[in-house]
Amino acid sequence: MTVPAVELDGIWKRFPGVIANSGANLTVRPGTVHAVLGENGAGKTTLMNCLAGVYRPDEGAVRLGGQELSFSSPADAIAAGVGMVHQEFRLVPTFTVAENVVLGAAPRIIDQGGIEASVADLAARFGFDADPARPVWQLSMGERQRVEILKALWRDANVLILDEPTAVLTPQEAVELGEVLRRMVAEGRSVIFISHKLDEVVSFCDEATVLRGGATVAASLSVAEVDASELAQLMVGDVAVEPVPVAVAMPGDPALTVDALSVRDARGLLAVDDVSLEVRSGEIVGIAGVAGNGQRALTDAIAGLEPVESGTITVMQHDVTSAPPQRRFRAGLAYVPEDRLGVGLAPKLPVTENAMMRAYRKLRRGPMLAWDDADQLTDQIIREFEVKIGSKDAPLASLSGGNLQRLLLGRELTGEPDILVASQPTRGLDVAGVRAIQRLIVQQRDNGTGVLMVSEDLDELLALADRILVMVEGRIVGEFDPRVATRADIGAAMIGGSDRSTRPDTEGVSS
Amino acid sequence: MILGVTFTEAGVIGLLVATVQFGTLLYLAALGETISEKAGVLNLGVEGMMATGAAMGFIVGVETGSPWLGLLGGAVAGAIVSLIHAAAAVGLGADQVVSGLALTFLGLGFADFIGDGYTDDERRARFADVEIPGLDDIPWVGEVVFRHSPVTYLAVIIGVAAWFVLNRTAVGLGLRAVGETASTADAAGHSVVRLRFAAVVTGGALAGASGAYLTTYLVGSWSQNLTAGRGWIAVALVIFGAWRVGRVAIGALLFGLTLALKSRLTLFDIEISGQFVDMLPFLLTIAVLVVISFRARNRPSPAPAAIGIAYRREER
Amino acid sequence: MKRLVLARRETPTRGGQPLAFLVGLVFALVVGAILLWITGDPVLDVYERMWDRSLGSQNTWSDTFNRAVPLALAGLAVSIAATMGLWNIGAEGQIMFGAIAATFVGRLLPDAPGLILIVAMLLAAAFGGALWSFGPAVARSEIGVSEIITTLMLTEVASRLIVYLEQGPWKDPDGFGFPGVTPRPDQAELGTLWERTHIGVLIALAVIIGFAWYLRRSVWGYELRIAGSSEKAAAYAGISVRRKVLGVLLVSGAVAGFAGGIELLTTTTGKLTVQISNGYGFAGIIVAALALMRPSGVAAVALAFGALQVGGQAIQTNPGVSPAVATILQGLVLFGAIGAAVFSTYRLRLVDRQVAES
Repeated sequence: MTVPAVELDGIWKRFPGVIANSGANLTVRPGTVHAVLGENGAGKTTLMNCLAGVYRPDEGAVRLGGQELSFSSPADAIAAGVGMVHQEFRLVPTFTVAENVVLGAAPRIIDQGGIEASVADLAARFGFDADPARPVWQLSMGERQRVEILKALWRDANVLILDEPTAVLTPQEAVELGEVLRRMVAEGRSVIFISHKLDEVVSFCDEATVLRGGATVAASLSVAEVDASELAQLMVGDVAVEPVPVAVAMPGDPALTVDALSVRDARGLLAVDDVSLEVRSGEIVGIAGVAGNGQRALTDAIAGLEPVESGTITVMQHDVTSAPPQRRFRAGLAYVPEDRLGVGLAPKLPVTENAMMRAYRKLRRGPMLAWDDADQLTDQIIREFEVKIGSKDAPLASLSGGNLQRLLLGRELTGEPDILVASQPTRGLDVAGVRAIQRLIVQQRDNGTGVLMVSEDLDELLALADRILVMVEGRIVGEFDPRVATRADIGAAMIGGSDRSTRPDTEGVSS
Repeated sequence: MILGVTFTEAGVIGLLVATVQFGTLLYLAALGETISEKAGVLNLGVEGMMATGAAMGFIVGVETGSPWLGLLGGAVAGAIVSLIHAAAAVGLGADQVVSGLALTFLGLGFADFIGDGYTDDERRARFADVEIPGLDDIPWVGEVVFRHSPVTYLAVIIGVAAWFVLNRTAVGLGLRAVGETASTADAAGHSVVRLRFAAVVTGGALAGASGAYLTTYLVGSWSQNLTAGRGWIAVALVIFGAWRVGRVAIGALLFGLTLALKSRLTLFDIEISGQFVDMLPFLLTIAVLVVISFRARNRPSPAPAAIGIAYRREER
Repeated sequence: MKRLVLARRETPTRGGQPLAFLVGLVFALVVGAILLWITGDPVLDVYERMWDRSLGSQNTWSDTFNRAVPLALAGLAVSIAATMGLWNIGAEGQIMFGAIAATFVGRLLPDAPGLILIVAMLLAAAFGGALWSFGPAVARSEIGVSEIITTLMLTEVASRLIVYLEQGPWKDPDGFGFPGVTPRPDQAELGTLWERTHIGVLIALAVIIGFAWYLRRSVWGYELRIAGSSEKAAAYAGISVRRKVLGVLLVSGAVAGFAGGIELLTTTTGKLTVQISNGYGFAGIIVAALALMRPSGVAAVALAFGALQVGGQAIQTNPGVSPAVATILQGLVLFGAIGAAVFSTYRLRLVDRQVAES
């Protein structure tokens, strides 16, 4: 048997409050494309960062070609032949392609034409189409990714790690990437391909290792011998969902109507693509999907933080499509953004100043603010939503994550909104915090508020939501009834598999 | 007379010669600041480093009798002063604006401190003009271009060398990367702290040399407030030249022209106040900055993106 | 192998900044002592003299107070802009233009009654300061031009403008042909409280307390803090960042210009000169930085800086001692405080070499 190109043996990595990897294993044979599969938070990226020298594992061994190594920096890993293409590219926008490729590994004296020719040769060898003299800021995301791969190849990386490489690619670019990877492994190199999209794994990869909850649940499966549904099952697990007692919803009139909404992101691409949905009073509509499929743009657009390309947004019969965030709030729309700190809250400012962020206009007395009233408002939120704080004058950043979220949610709910849009409301919270936030959201629904809830935690949506919409690449691709749908069904839809909606009438929603 | 301005051959040649002389002064300091900013470190202490270089340049010059040693002494003094900024802004991550301004105070004070006993010193250690054989006889051009102090020729050589290092070597590539996105350069294996220290100290040495050029050639003596705000012109010049070594050189000549013109207005019968001529570099720089910002809507600004941002590796 | 690294403290040490400032002050005095010792000057005598001339008696307290006024106002101007994370480093130029505007009003109304003239000149000074920051403010809010450079450049322009006025249009006809602006009308001089302490001290204190209170308690101050926190948070709260940028830079300029007005109304010659700002604008940045950009802390730091500057002038009259030591001390205070502040947010830790590099 050949010596494995990469062996990760019993890797543990802990962060404050989180265990990212708990004894994960990975074995990659030379000359193969190896998929590392898992849901968000399964520990894929952390494990790969341990291999690429970004992190040092707390426990466990890293072996390359049978030799145990310890990296203290990415540079060490590069020297040992491990290159990683991160999701966020590490490029200098004003530099040319060639300059970016050779940065850190350039000849002492740089002959501009010479390195451009060498980089062009390297690109040609692997079937890339890249103009080495173009500055990187002019390139598309797909082209930038090629520069990142070229960087690794320039350093003669024997093992190339790609973290969710297709997330930024068009389908055509993804196919081209597959061809490049084939050429690389044909030279005897190894590629590790982090993904949660099964169709890619099936078409690009030779073997697959599945992670769940930071540990390896299936190692080095031959992709040719397992089918996609088995992999999906391994990824999401088969835990029986404990049915949390939630009263039957009594949906009323539409509280929020989104019609044919499209939103472009900063790069000008359609982040939300012709989405229509409706949330009625007294129901929770969940949006399931892998991160980065347009959920943030959708909720930001509904809240008024992102301009709308086309379509309409209606809150309680009021068209708010182009209204500023404050007017939407007054129309009855409350919003818990995904970025609690930085959008929803100001971490350096005191608790009180955060608590009054939505209502401060009502607290003005001429040019001054009625701070007594502000204190009362804060006290009320703290009491009703059981926020634990040290002092109202202390910077908000001194609060724990759960209390931050309670404060934020409490602030949004004190206006007795008709519709609550909550994006990842429980992410990053401890178990007690998750429970408390979930209870508040259900309570709100029972009081007749409509709730649109985005979550990456499928179990949460299955437990709380009355309907689940699945979002992929900016579109709603399916609607599921959580009482009858299985995790596997929804999971398959989330990773771009076949549309297996449990409701026949999805035409209207999925466009 | 054209438009009420009287031109004489001697007057114009004198003006152009002075333009090159002032240009040399500004170029040395601005080149240093360009290198520092290219690495992502704004150093507003140019005036202070220049003053220290001027005082030390004079002292070493007259005590050793060698303007060359004076120039070297000025450069070393400028480099030493700049180390304080490097330590605070790069090493400890202090705000670059505040640290640079404090360095201005420190440098100006230090210059007066060491120069205290030399204010009325009659001794001189001045560079003599060097005529480039064969070329200095060309009418006009010879006088304007080929009869200068060695410092001018040295500045040209240093400029070319700086261009070469920044644009044609691995170190220069790394330095520019550090000034654009420090984390990327770090991940690629370049030491952010080392490169930034080197850039700041190089900048300090050049600012110091620029100051020493004042006392070993242009003025020849030391007095308080000798730099008279030329350090701030150098800061402006970096922006005016869009952080490019060559353009900064052209800007240095243009700004040098305004300095040369200011004292020759009556010679040419120009009827405007020299103060307005003096304002030109600053107003031009603001204009350039506005244009840069307008164009930055569609393309990256020529300013190094990481200027003013302290870099500390993520703790993990 | 072990080595030292800086590790961030989980919470910054309480009271760290006042302590850091004191450490900076001590550091500066120690280095100053070494410099004096090198030049062979009697260190203790010089320091005693500095103390006597700045804080030693009621009489000298006056000088310190008076000196602290422009420093504190400039520091306030800087810290107001910093509420939103902006850098007004052109307070120096705004002081000058404020003084120009006040002189203009003085020339316009040479026979107006004292009180009216004083109020008009001070208002003009504030307006002038705002005018001088108007360009940078618009450029920043509309096109995103860095206010750091534009405000700095305009400082240099303002100083040339004063020289121009001295030599040309505003030249004193009674100045025996020497350049110099006609002095302000006599009745426009600010009166004194006691000894030489002028009323400007009271006015400045009122302005600082007013702004500290207003920024803390008003809608505007609150909106500035939110807008400075993040652009997204501001949008979420319905606040226009652009208008806040414009407003805060104008107010910052006005405060600096006001300082120029006070200086003009209290200087003994009563004349507008380039020296009217005397580096207060730049020193004000250091003052504000040492006060952690808090308006409430600016007054205290300015007082210490005022004492340092006034005491430093005492050195000038002492033959053999380099007066430059006082300038050096001002810079050193900041660097000492930077070094000390590091230890209130970081601590030294001895760690494994490998870990240190990871």
